[in-house]
Amino acid sequence: MILRLLSAALAAGFLAAVVATGLQLSLTSPLILEAERYEQREPSRAAEVLPRTLPIVLAHSGHDHAAPDAAPEWQPAPGLQRMAFTGLATLVGGVGYALILGAVLLACGREPTLQTGLAFALAGFASVALAPGLGLPPELPGQEAAPLLARQAWWAMTAVSTAMGLYLIGVRRSLIAILGGLVLIVAPHVVGAPQTPDGASELPAALAAQFAARSLAIGAVFWAMIGLGLGWAWQSFGSAGRRHA
Amino acid sequence: MTTSTQTTTLAPVAVRANDRLMAATLAAFLGLGLVFMAGFSPAIAFHNAAHDFRHAQNFPCH
Repeated sequence: MILRLLSAALAAGFLAAVVATGLQLSLTSPLILEAERYEQREPSRAAEVLPRTLPIVLAHSGHDHAAPDAAPEWQPAPGLQRMAFTGLATLVGGVGYALILGAVLLACGREPTLQTGLAFALAGFASVALAPGLGLPPELPGQEAAPLLARQAWWAMTAVSTAMGLYLIGVRRSLIAILGGLVLIVAPHVVGAPQTPDGASELPAALAAQFAARSLAIGAVFWAMIGLGLGWAWQSFGSAGRRHA
Repeated sequence: MTTSTQTTTLAPVAVRANDRLMAATLAAFLGLGLVFMAGFSPAIAFHNAAHDFRHAQNFPCH
């Protein structure tokens, strides 16, 4: 069963990553590159120390972890290499999500099929994209934001809390469970996401809004593909195993 | 086909449940590790490599 789950998650993650990478490279990456132009224009310590010949696709020109006299940090070269690493990261993330999805399905006693895979994947999308996005909308480089650790902690807390809440509502289904689930889903938003400090950013609001919308849409497709892919692969690998048995 | 169905039915329920739990636990840990690596790892190399993915998938990034 372990091998079947690992293989199915690998296949689902790969399928989803192929689709999501294509969408990211055509829809969100151009907006990120455009935002980095604005980020570079803003007066910052990093911008002052970088040679003028460096291309504008630096991932981190304005970030505070770049000490002025430190050796240059590794980053993918602009163009093809950066696109390839985006694809690789999407593959790693996709397989990771598919493994978690498969684990949750099995732990809940559900057989991964197209239907259960898609249903649980949509819950995954709600947990890691939609719910955290309500407090921390997808952001472009150069946007003002609260400290990273605080945002990561709120993101993780919201994702876990929403997933638990959806489990109680969708799987447990008793009155107490449903009430508890609603509390778990709402609680992170009552606590509130880390506040974004007020600051002037040259980034056009329309660019940021477009990015947030595209990011959530890609997330939905990514998760749907992971769920459908996992259901399909689990069934295929199962029947192949039976044939060879 | 008939043989495999009989084998499945005869397999002890406790063993199958245990197998299922083992697979779920292993996959969960592996999956969390991969998601952490792609979305959260503070190592600069991971961060820069996964930069555009993190932004696009709404992971808090820098």
